[in-house]
Amino acid sequence: MADNNKAFLVEHRRRDSYGFALRPQHIERYREYVSIYKEEEGERSSKWKNFLDRQLEYGQSCSCEEECKEKSQGETTECALESVSNRGREGDYSSGKTSDSDGSTKCGPETVLQLSEEDKEEVQCMEELKNEVQSSKEPQNEVQHLGESGKEAQHSEQLQKDVQLSEEPKIEVQSAEPRDLQNLEDSQKEAQFSEKLIKEVPPSEVRKEDSHSKETKASKIKKWSLIRPSLHAIENLMSFRVKNSKEKKNLHIAKAGGHLPLPKEMESQTEEDVEEEICVKEILDENFSTSAETSSENTEATKEPFFPWKEELEFLVHGGVPKDLRGEVWQAFVGVKARRVERYYEELLAEELNVGESDGVPIKWKRQIEKDIPRTFPGHPALDDHGRDSLRRLLLAYAKHNPSVGYCQAMNFFAGLLLLLMPEENAFWTFVGIIDEFFDGYYTEEMIESQVDQLVFEELMRERFPKLVNHLDYLGVQVTWLSGPWFLSIFVNMLPWESVLRIWDVLLFEGNRVMLFRTALALMELYSPALLTTKDAGDAITLLQNLAGSTFDSSQLVLTACMGFLAVTEARLQEMRKKHRPAILEIVEERFKKGRVWNDSKGLASKLYSFKHDHVPLIEEEKIGEGEVSQLNTCSSNLDDFLIGLSNNSEADSLPDLQEQVVWMKVELCRLLDEKRSAILRAEELETALVEMVKEDNRRELTAKIELLEQEVAELRQALADKKEQEYAMLQVLMRVEQEQRITEEARLNAEQAASTQKNAVCVLQEKYDKAMAKVAQMEQRVVMAESMLEATIHYESGQARAVSSPRSMRNPSTSIESPRRRISLFGLGWRDRNKGKPVNEDSSDCTSSNDGKDSKTLLSHNNNKDKRQQD
Amino acid sequence: MGCSSSLPGRSSEQLGGLNNNPETNGVSDAKNLRVKLVLLGDSGVGKSCIVLRFVRGQFDPTSKVTIGASFLSQTIALQDSTTVKFEIWDTAGQERYAALAPLYYRGAAVGVVVYDITSPESFNKAQYWVKELQKHGSPDIVLALVGNKADLHEKREVPVQDGIDYAEKNGMFFIETSAKTADNINQLFEEIAKRIPRPSTSS
Ligand SMILES: Nc1nc2c(ncn2[C@@H]2O[C@H](COP(=O)(O)OP(=O)(O)OP(=O)(O)O)[C@@H](O)[C@H]2O)c(=O)[nH]1
Ligand SMILES: [Mg+2]
Repeated sequence: MADNNKAFLVEHRRRDSYGFALRPQHIERYREYVSIYKEEEGERSSKWKNFLDRQLEYGQSCSCEEECKEKSQGETTECALESVSNRGREGDYSSGKTSDSDGSTKCGPETVLQLSEEDKEEVQCMEELKNEVQSSKEPQNEVQHLGESGKEAQHSEQLQKDVQLSEEPKIEVQSAEPRDLQNLEDSQKEAQFSEKLIKEVPPSEVRKEDSHSKETKASKIKKWSLIRPSLHAIENLMSFRVKNSKEKKNLHIAKAGGHLPLPKEMESQTEEDVEEEICVKEILDENFSTSAETSSENTEATKEPFFPWKEELEFLVHGGVPKDLRGEVWQAFVGVKARRVERYYEELLAEELNVGESDGVPIKWKRQIEKDIPRTFPGHPALDDHGRDSLRRLLLAYAKHNPSVGYCQAMNFFAGLLLLLMPEENAFWTFVGIIDEFFDGYYTEEMIESQVDQLVFEELMRERFPKLVNHLDYLGVQVTWLSGPWFLSIFVNMLPWESVLRIWDVLLFEGNRVMLFRTALALMELYSPALLTTKDAGDAITLLQNLAGSTFDSSQLVLTACMGFLAVTEARLQEMRKKHRPAILEIVEERFKKGRVWNDSKGLASKLYSFKHDHVPLIEEEKIGEGEVSQLNTCSSNLDDFLIGLSNNSEADSLPDLQEQVVWMKVELCRLLDEKRSAILRAEELETALVEMVKEDNRRELTAKIELLEQEVAELRQALADKKEQEYAMLQVLMRVEQEQRITEEARLNAEQAASTQKNAVCVLQEKYDKAMAKVAQMEQRVVMAESMLEATIHYESGQARAVSSPRSMRNPSTSIESPRRRISLFGLGWRDRNKGKPVNEDSSDCTSSNDGKDSKTLLSHNNNKDKRQQD
Repeated sequence: MGCSSSLPGRSSEQLGGLNNNPETNGVSDAKNLRVKLVLLGDSGVGKSCIVLRFVRGQFDPTSKVTIGASFLSQTIALQDSTTVKFEIWDTAGQERYAALAPLYYRGAAVGVVVYDITSPESFNKAQYWVKELQKHGSPDIVLALVGNKADLHEKREVPVQDGIDYAEKNGMFFIETSAKTADNINQLFEEIAKRIPRPSTSS
């Protein structure tokens, strides 16, 4: 076990808690949801336990009756306890393998891990439980029972919860009688707790055989085990459904007589469906006595007082079946007990082994099964060689059991899934129930019902999601490209496992294909917003495929499916199937006529193709067609009677051709009637389509206009933005200019200031100049004064000299006097010229020389030189 | 179909949508082609493995059985700088599923018919599919015949020449591949891409 756990540890990252492979891109999402799943699982297992406990209580009174019944039905239950002790549900499947892989059979590696972890918890829980109950003074041994019974962790946990959280449990424990507890214990024994189990139930020889010896394969195959007693009530309820439909079938087989699959199928199917419908309704109405037929046939069943809880059960089923109960609950739903024929499975296998290829399962199916076995949940820990042997046996047995189906790809997955949940023979009968009844006509050579369902789904889509379908039409995507595989695989491999199992819970409970439609519609509802955004076919398909594959929120999906599409009922679907079936049959008939199966298989496609353009609500069509339909029905049933009469009278073999012809004619007639009806319809459809299209056209135009306007607005906005930008730029420039202006202004001011200071300077200079001039004037005056003084002095001196010296000597001085005068006047003139022509006294100039010593000296020397030259 | 086209005032694009044209040749523009491709052939010849090898580059010896059909897409770039987006429908191989095949090959621009070189029966089945596509496929469909599992040459039962001859007779492209060793897988799709008629300037 430890080694195994290690191996699982490595593996378990890529696999979910059921042991199925996870897509790499989903590992993270899955991890996110694991805790949610765990939480949900905890809730639902406590709910279920509560429910089943009440069932047990309730059923206690009738349990004797039940056992009697079991015996009377000739089943192996000589002793209820013995059969119960054989019950280890996984025993058979896992028995084919070594005992260490037992744990993985039922749950994936992760659960195993969880369980082993919880094992410890369990011990604690049990202790707590003991304490609790002890303190409440319960009889100790009962508690011990619980403690040792090897119940699963979940159960004990939940039990503990019950004990802790409410005061009810005491009563519960009390009320459940010891014998029941014993049964419960036994029934809940799990393979993974086999050690405990062996300790507890040593007399169980079969179990020892299972877990310790491999060579007794044959005996293991035959193994059949009953489900736990607490589920008997459900089983009985569902068995009743099975019996009813069986009778109907037998009735039909008796009535139809001949063996021409095609028309009979058509005929019986419709009637059968209706009757089945009634049966289901009866069950739902909890009113069995009203139907004379059923009450007479099933006197035992009518006595059953269990039906008030049916609604509660339905609610529980919508919430999901707990993992550890699922295998048994499914068997109960499918009504395995009522279906089972003692030794039938063994005999099928024995025949298959002994007869060989000639008489056994046709080689083509065998080959296909061989091809597909390794490709069924590849790598699943439970599908080792022994698991595959089980799978092979089951598929071969079924192919032999129902040659009209034989083997069809997809069945390998269903068989594989069932084998993971229950013993081989139980799985076989569950499988038979599903394929023969719930999916009758689905996986046959012609796959008629499967094709019909696609037409029905297409119609439902158009009705429910016109916008989405329009969009997909526009992209060139057909919904059925994806819904086809969904339906055919019952969502196995298409959705995450948690979601697949939740859908199967509901589907098997309801016992029809309604859940297929509801789930597919729910997926469309969940993902249509995303799909509406896609731009090409490939993207839309990829998106839907990926989104579906990551629908981890299983509760949301199931809730949307069950609550959102209540109008999609079996009755409604039957109506729609009836409408579409002829179209498919027509194609099949064509092939039949040509005697070539592989001829023209364009049927569904062409029908769907034309369908695409019929935008018409169903109801109208139904109304119009009703008259003809009933006419058609009576017509064909008359023919049917005729046919039966023929076949009965002539023993069929004498007139095979005639019979064939009649069949052919009948089909032809149906077709013609149908054609007529559809021609009328088509006209109306076209009209409606036309109106629709015109509307759509207007809508398109408007959208185009809006787009145009929007574009304009966008353009204007752009322009506005541009303008704003420009404005801003201008502003910027303006600001810069202003700044410059300011700078120049400043400069100007500065300049002005400078100018004024200069003016001031000029003024100052002027003043100085004036002063200087004034001084000059003063000087001149002084010079004049000095000159006059000098003249006066000269005059005086000359007067003196004239008086003293000769005339000659008198001359010379006169010339000498004359010459300085000239000089001074010369000087005076020159100075006057250079300075502003100030009127100067000729006389005053003489004084300058004396005034300015130096100048006058040089002047004098200069003059002296001149004088000298003049003298020379 | 008829009624939609008789209505005036529809743009050609809308018409195309209603008439399934976008998928018929899957052309978006001259440089970026969109091509619907359908894989047909007997069960177990390796159709799913070929697609997975081409799209994901992996080979899983324990692939899952295909139920109905499954879709994958992959884009490749050619040397002339055009891109081709393959929208691939991988169909279920069992005979009875043939009833659903038209749903998937309708409007396909390319049909790839696969057989297993170790199985003469699968070669017969391939011929059936070729006929079916010639009869009911798009008139201008590009057909390829693929002999897969070429790595198992020691177990070969269908001579290469048979494949070549049959393909030639039917104007198909022929290649032997191995999804296991990846031999010729990319070549297959590249050759197909080259053979796809390029759109005229109109669309
Ligand atoms: N040796 C070898 N084996 C291959 C090759 N391709 C596929 N196989 C094997 O053939 C088996 C079937 O391949 P698939 O791709 O599942 O076959 P399919 O054609 O898709 O079959 P269906 O889905 O049933 O139609 C696989 O499990 C592989 O083991 C190959 O190139 N070489
Ligand atoms: Mg495949």
